[in-house]
Amino acid sequence: MGRRRRRVDRGAAVGALPEAIAALSRTLPAGPSPEIFRRAKFDRPEAAPALWQLLFRVLSPLSADGASASPAQEAQVRAVKSELRSQGYPRQALAQLPEDGSQGSRELLLALAWLLARGPLLERLLAQTRVRLGDEIPLCECEALARPGPPVPRVEADGPVDIRHLQWLMGKLRFQWRKLITSQQEQCALLGKIHSYTRGCHSDRSLGHLSVAETELLRDAEGGQQLLRRLESENVCLEAALRWRRQELVFWRWMDTVLGTCPPEASQPTFVPRIPERGAGEWELVARELQALQEELRGAAEPRRAAWEARVGGWGPEWSAVQRASREAVGLELAALQRAWERGGAAAQPHGPCRLVKSDAGASGGPGLRAAQVIEVLRSREACLEAVLCQLQRQCRQELARLAGALPGLIWILPPGR
Amino acid sequence: MLPADCSRRLVAELRDALDACAERQRQLERSLRVSRRLLRTWEPAETPAPQPTPAPETSGEAPSPESTPSSQDLKELELLTQALEKAVRVRKGISKTGERHKALSLKSGSAATSATTASAPSRPSGQASCRVSETKPPRGIQQTVVPARGLPESRLLSVGDRTHMGRGSRATKPGPGPRDQQIPPSAALQAPEAFTLKEKGILLRLPMAYRKAASRNSRLWAQLSSAQTSDSMDAAATAKTQFLQKMQMTSGGPGSGLSAAAVEAEVGLLRTACLLLRRRMEEVLSADPADCMQEYRCLLTLEGLQAITEQCLHRLQELRAAVVGRQLGPWPVGRRPGASLPCGGGTDPLWSPQLLLYSSTQELQTLEALRLRLAMLDQQIHLEKVLMAELLPLVGTQGPHWLALCRAVHSLLCEGGERFLTVLRDEPAD
Repeated sequence: MGRRRRRVDRGAAVGALPEAIAALSRTLPAGPSPEIFRRAKFDRPEAAPALWQLLFRVLSPLSADGASASPAQEAQVRAVKSELRSQGYPRQALAQLPEDGSQGSRELLLALAWLLARGPLLERLLAQTRVRLGDEIPLCECEALARPGPPVPRVEADGPVDIRHLQWLMGKLRFQWRKLITSQQEQCALLGKIHSYTRGCHSDRSLGHLSVAETELLRDAEGGQQLLRRLESENVCLEAALRWRRQELVFWRWMDTVLGTCPPEASQPTFVPRIPERGAGEWELVARELQALQEELRGAAEPRRAAWEARVGGWGPEWSAVQRASREAVGLELAALQRAWERGGAAAQPHGPCRLVKSDAGASGGPGLRAAQVIEVLRSREACLEAVLCQLQRQCRQELARLAGALPGLIWILPPGR
Repeated sequence: MLPADCSRRLVAELRDALDACAERQRQLERSLRVSRRLLRTWEPAETPAPQPTPAPETSGEAPSPESTPSSQDLKELELLTQALEKAVRVRKGISKTGERHKALSLKSGSAATSATTASAPSRPSGQASCRVSETKPPRGIQQTVVPARGLPESRLLSVGDRTHMGRGSRATKPGPGPRDQQIPPSAALQAPEAFTLKEKGILLRLPMAYRKAASRNSRLWAQLSSAQTSDSMDAAATAKTQFLQKMQMTSGGPGSGLSAAAVEAEVGLLRTACLLLRRRMEEVLSADPADCMQEYRCLLTLEGLQAITEQCLHRLQELRAAVVGRQLGPWPVGRRPGASLPCGGGTDPLWSPQLLLYSSTQELQTLEALRLRLAMLDQQIHLEKVLMAELLPLVGTQGPHWLALCRAVHSLLCEGGERFLTVLRDEPAD
């Protein structure tokens, strides 16, 4: 068979490919056997359902409790197609596969390889389903934003509502936040107690005390067994992921041959333009902000330039060297500023979940972030956001004043306490 | 009344915000339940897992914290056992309650001695031995369980302690100090022992199986995070890039790799850009230039910022054209746009969590409160923008009940819905 010939050609160890694929599928949730992969290369229909399911598990965002029943085959197929398209999957053939999930195993194999090649898919999946042994807090909200909560079945308000309904909803929201903050403070107090009561119990010196999960494990033996089982199965997945890392080259060479067996597609854009509603909204907001910023900058810069030109008009040549130096310096600063968002965020911002450890040392040295530093960073972020909110409110006030000014004969008394 | 489509959108946004908040509350309630349960008395059915065997551990983590207390307490145990035996003798002489002994014989011998200490305080006689036994049990009795592993139920606590602490462990107890003497003797008969984290927490030990699994887990995660650069990795990376290119070339789909997700990500970056640019502009405008040089630099900075803003706008237009010109697939579902600076994951995402050290409960509370406040501000800013976009145009067109609308919009947009302004009609005085 073709595969055997290839192996001999490359002189690779016998069984390297099945091993690599076995490692891969061990790491993935609902990973199919190497045999399915082999059949998929030849586009055998019996391999398709398993691959549809695999792609669905890989692409669907993790639901909050993780135990939602998997939807019907058609729904899975539609979800996979839509998610792949929105991520930019280039091949047309996928979109044309039938929705009963009976065909297209080779295409699905290519899709899986495409996802694997684009980014650290396995690590991300493992990190999402990681067993959390410690008391963790996320330092930034990107995780919370990226993962949508469970869809709440809601009765849509179809008709027009009064603005008082909106005011009521806002009030409800404010109250909910207050409640949340109080509950959070209580949780912190409890956590502090649990951490101090179990001081010195942990085998790992750098941790020093038990976390809630670990104490719970000691309290509830059965739950503890479950935790242990999950931990052990995660270890197996992690080892498989490391094995995959070592052996994946063989897989990529094989995927090249799989791609080779596919006929190339003709370039045919058959798209109907459609502006997604939500995306357009976001776009509008950003566009408006940038335009407002541009106006302000122009308003600030132009008069200064004019004043400067008037002053500097007659200055001598020694000034031009200084001017050049300034220009370069400013250029460097602005380039650094641009990098800050183009590279996706300042490195100084702490990111990702952190395990809470109560420690009296707190001094420098030793791994880990210090709460005091993180509090500083968060405070500066808070100041930044408050400034943004204030500025927006100021804008609104000006706009409303302008609109209200159109109507004479009214006195507007602003609320006190600003 | 607001127009229907506007109402629908706004109500949807506000309900999304409420749902997000409710979800957080749910998760928090779950954690609170667990934590509260841990701090209460642990039910007898849920006892701490049996201690790890005293056999020398191969993991290299020296069992010194375990051995030192037990060696220290073994001595105390000796004294205690002697005192208790004496108490038993004394009490046997005073009363023979057969059922008590029967109940006690169900437990181990060590537990029996502790049970007698519980009932001892109820006896007015033998005050001295009472006090001795009272002060000793909490610690001494612990350790009796450690060596006696063959027990059918290896508990960490004994009967005596339950009578001391069986009720409302959250109430602060001053430790094994003076106890109230009115302990009903029947309490001693009641089954088993209770355990509170406050008193006995430091004596807990994690089971060996868990320790091994956890250390293996952290080792594996460290390997996974660090194995980013090696020869085989580079070869694999090249193979992957080549595969992607080949795939792009042989397919008929959208060229430039522009996808809805990519567009959304770029729009997010541009939003961050706007924030950062604005911040820099405000810094420059609020600074007071001391000399010509600084003035010049301020000017250059402002002009540079203006140029960058124009570039961003241009890019935004390009993205808009890309979205309109062809269907890039459905917008990624369910991702709520955030208002604050997105982190972008950093260059090397850490797959397993790093440590965050805090020194006091107040510090932790401050930290968490700040975090929640950031999330709340985030949400508020987003809602503010959405409300502005929808409501300001309505105020611009004067319809019926314009004044009431104006007042309500002012309150929502400018005061966060917390305060209202008053509108007076300025009647000419005649």
